[in-house]
Amino acid sequence: MSLFRTIRGGLRALFLRERVDGEFDDELHGFLEMAVAEKMKEGMSRQEALRAVRLERGSLDGTKEIVRAAGWEFFVETCWLDLRFAARVLRKSPAFTTVAIVTLALGIGANTAVFGVVNALVLRPLPVDRPNELVFLENARYRPGHSFPNYRDLRDRNRAFAGLVGYRIAPMEMETDTGAQRIWGYLATGNYFDILGVRPVLGRFFTQSEDVHPGASPYAVLSYNAWRSRFGADSAIIGKTIRLNRLPYTVMAVAPPDFHGTELFYWPEVWVPMMMQPRIESNSWLENRNDWNTWVVGRLKPNISPAQAEADLNAIATEMARQYPDVNDGLQFKLAKPGLVGNMIGGPARAFAFGVLILAALVLLAACTNLASMFTARATDRERDLAVRLAIGAGRGRVVRQVLTEALLLTLVGGGVGYLLAWFLSRVLSRWRAPMDFPVQFNVNPDWHVFLFALAGAVIAGALFGSAPAWRASRTDPNAALRGTSGVCRGGRFAFRDLLVVTQVALCFVLVSASFLALRGLQQALQMNLGFQPQHVATAAFDLGLAGYSAERGQAFQQQTLQAIQQLPGVQFAAYSNSVPLSIDQSTTSVSPADKTDPRPSDSISVAYYQVSPGFFAAMGTKLLAGREFTWHDDAKSQQVAIVNVAFAKRVLRSDHAFDALGKRFRGGVLAPLAEVIGVAEDGKYENLTESEQPAVFWSILQFYNSTTMLEVKSSLPATQMVPQIRQTISRLDPELPLYGVGSLEQMLGFAFFPTRAAAIALSAFGGLAIMLAATGINGLVSYAVSRRTHEIGIRLAIGARPAEVLRLVLGKTAALLAFGSLVGLTLALAAGQVISSIVYETRPHDPLAMFGVWIGIALLGLFASWAPARRALRVDPMVALRYE
Amino acid sequence: MLPLTLRGSAFMTDKSSDLVQGTLDMLILKTLALEPMHGWGIAVRIEQISRGVFRVNAGSLFVAFQRLQRAGWIKSEWKATENNRRAKYYTLTEQGRRKLNSETREWERQVAAIARILEAS
Repeated sequence: MSLFRTIRGGLRALFLRERVDGEFDDELHGFLEMAVAEKMKEGMSRQEALRAVRLERGSLDGTKEIVRAAGWEFFVETCWLDLRFAARVLRKSPAFTTVAIVTLALGIGANTAVFGVVNALVLRPLPVDRPNELVFLENARYRPGHSFPNYRDLRDRNRAFAGLVGYRIAPMEMETDTGAQRIWGYLATGNYFDILGVRPVLGRFFTQSEDVHPGASPYAVLSYNAWRSRFGADSAIIGKTIRLNRLPYTVMAVAPPDFHGTELFYWPEVWVPMMMQPRIESNSWLENRNDWNTWVVGRLKPNISPAQAEADLNAIATEMARQYPDVNDGLQFKLAKPGLVGNMIGGPARAFAFGVLILAALVLLAACTNLASMFTARATDRERDLAVRLAIGAGRGRVVRQVLTEALLLTLVGGGVGYLLAWFLSRVLSRWRAPMDFPVQFNVNPDWHVFLFALAGAVIAGALFGSAPAWRASRTDPNAALRGTSGVCRGGRFAFRDLLVVTQVALCFVLVSASFLALRGLQQALQMNLGFQPQHVATAAFDLGLAGYSAERGQAFQQQTLQAIQQLPGVQFAAYSNSVPLSIDQSTTSVSPADKTDPRPSDSISVAYYQVSPGFFAAMGTKLLAGREFTWHDDAKSQQVAIVNVAFAKRVLRSDHAFDALGKRFRGGVLAPLAEVIGVAEDGKYENLTESEQPAVFWSILQFYNSTTMLEVKSSLPATQMVPQIRQTISRLDPELPLYGVGSLEQMLGFAFFPTRAAAIALSAFGGLAIMLAATGINGLVSYAVSRRTHEIGIRLAIGARPAEVLRLVLGKTAALLAFGSLVGLTLALAAGQVISSIVYETRPHDPLAMFGVWIGIALLGLFASWAPARRALRVDPMVALRYE
Repeated sequence: MLPLTLRGSAFMTDKSSDLVQGTLDMLILKTLALEPMHGWGIAVRIEQISRGVFRVNAGSLFVAFQRLQRAGWIKSEWKATENNRRAKYYTLTEQGRRKLNSETREWERQVAAIARILEAS
């Protein structure tokens, strides 16, 4: 009750100020009149009585002030006054205010945008029921996949999970009004929606009864987006039939709008029961213990810790290894955070996001030091103003509050603008679809966490750069300041502001060199030997399995297509394969040397594999170091052959020289019991750009048919001109066949280069910001030095100083600070280089050319930034300068 | 009760007997326990009863009124005085009466304790 009255009383005083004041005036007048009347009764005149009362009881105005200052509302009132005063002061120097707000907007905006991404990728839980209980199961060896029989064993034997769901990303061919189209979806076990705790918008989700008979559950769940964009949000969609891979499926449900499965970057259009796998993908692996295709997410039982669950799983793993030693030998499980395929993508993505967040924080810090030195310079100029306020009785606390209010006002406005910038940026980013044949999309729309972050950033920034000048203001000596002597006397020695400049230059050095290193890394990554020549290669892909071709018909169609493509004008080499290196679709198998008679999984080596047609190496521009390419005679009727890369020759065949590997044999895992090496190709990059010397094997697609077909067409024409002709040729052969991945091979590599490109863009943005901050900072420093010393320069010029001497006077200290700052920055940059080289590929942490370049750059920037103020110094007119006071 | 001494300007006494802030509150409540009273009346009453030891200035008196009113211990209304002027009369609330009782007991306890200490030496 008393708190309520306090608040009500205060609010009344704030908003009904005149009424409250009037009432109090009446009361106080009455009080004083009664006191005067009393005195007059004692025989005083009215004049004497008034004087006596004032002495005894205090003056009218004094009393009013005391009563007014007693409540909490007084604090609010003075804050409001401070704010209005601050706004007036800032309006009076628009240049300073604009620079400060732009600096802050960029600094806080960059941080907020980056935090938005971190928030979306790392902090925000999946939009499902109790997301904290969900974990992603990783297989220590074949991460992240599990074989489906292994998943079934885990699901039935574990005691730690409320449920384990198995799922897989799968492309499908959907028939639409405009023809067949390749779409992306999920295969998921029957308990998927139940365990994740998602409720449908329409219909009912599938259940465990859909887990029983392979091929017997032709049901589909549509994503909300697919329902709206493909079916016009048809409310009677449930029970209707859609056709996937030319077979009918009944629509059972529509998923809620914010649910996109358990991978944050992947937005599927449809969910199909796992039991339909043999109809969705051409090869059935549901019963194969050695096909590691299932991803598994589990919901922990309440009160079970991840460590307990891991122990439970590994106890089962030991049993499973004993039961099936040929595939499960050494089986081990690890738990990871769900959302980014466990640690496979999650690990590097989180590391990168935090790395960029640190850089963003450095940018904000640089912005703060920049503003702190500008603010301190202003405070020094306003010393006289502050001194007057102190002299006429303002408390030091109030002066400090005033300066801090100014800083906070700036940061809140700057932060607001920055938040808007970040908001726009994340809207763009959320809508952006990576230009690849895969629905990569991130929802990085800012939520209230991001808003709070921006607000906290603004307040902290304000406190950071406001505290230095506030502290200085509180130490103003009114006497010295009013005599106009304080600043000039203090000019020569090392000042706090100089420290700020050194910090700022050092930070900028670090940021600029970081972005420079990253850009050079990118440049090198783009030039590095990939093991093939992507220039002038056009690609197009189709899946004959999805289109209902049998293996026999498929093989005939592949060869027919290739022959037609080879007839096109300009084509130099053409070939087809199941996939190409560095695309999304990569497969690995385990192989072992032929001399091991009973190979166990622990003896085998995991290698990348491709099924390729004759002419593949010519079309891809991959050099063969020994042996020959496949020919049309390497087919099912002849001896099983393979072409391997150098790393394979070394690690599996123990051949140090390419020629030694020719004719050697090895066991090719599931595909080939025993194969002979007929050629050795140069090493390349297969899964990603960072990998080192990954062994790879190429099979003849005539011996091991694969329905997934990717054409590689090398021509003398640019790939973009080839593409329409390829499209036309294929549609002549099968007008119904949907194509995907149509374009240049270089476009397809966008996926592999995406992390490096993203890093380079982020880092160059920060580098640009840093350069801008360094320029304004140095410019501010020199301008200030000149304006403070106009008087002195005038005297020097009057008594005959030469321009060079004046320049030395103005720039000498700046140069020293610049040099010292760069030195500190260089040391820090060397340390930061280590971090960056772990994020951006092909980056050398101690790239001397980059470091030297940055050094020269900072020096030039310093010169450039001090140019205008230095010229002003030279133009000082002694007469004007001396009359300045 | 916080033993805060008031600044000299805010609470003037003609003798050097500094009062703690809460004491003024207690004196006001005690004065109002007899009958509702306006500001000047309260000041005079405190002065008379203390035989001129405490002379309260307007500032501290009105700050105390604001404080007590917001705490809900007194309330106010405008009324005519016996000399036909208008004045704001303060009245003790039920809550204020309880507060006065507990404060008085606490005060007596402390005074007795201090007295014992002083007598002991």
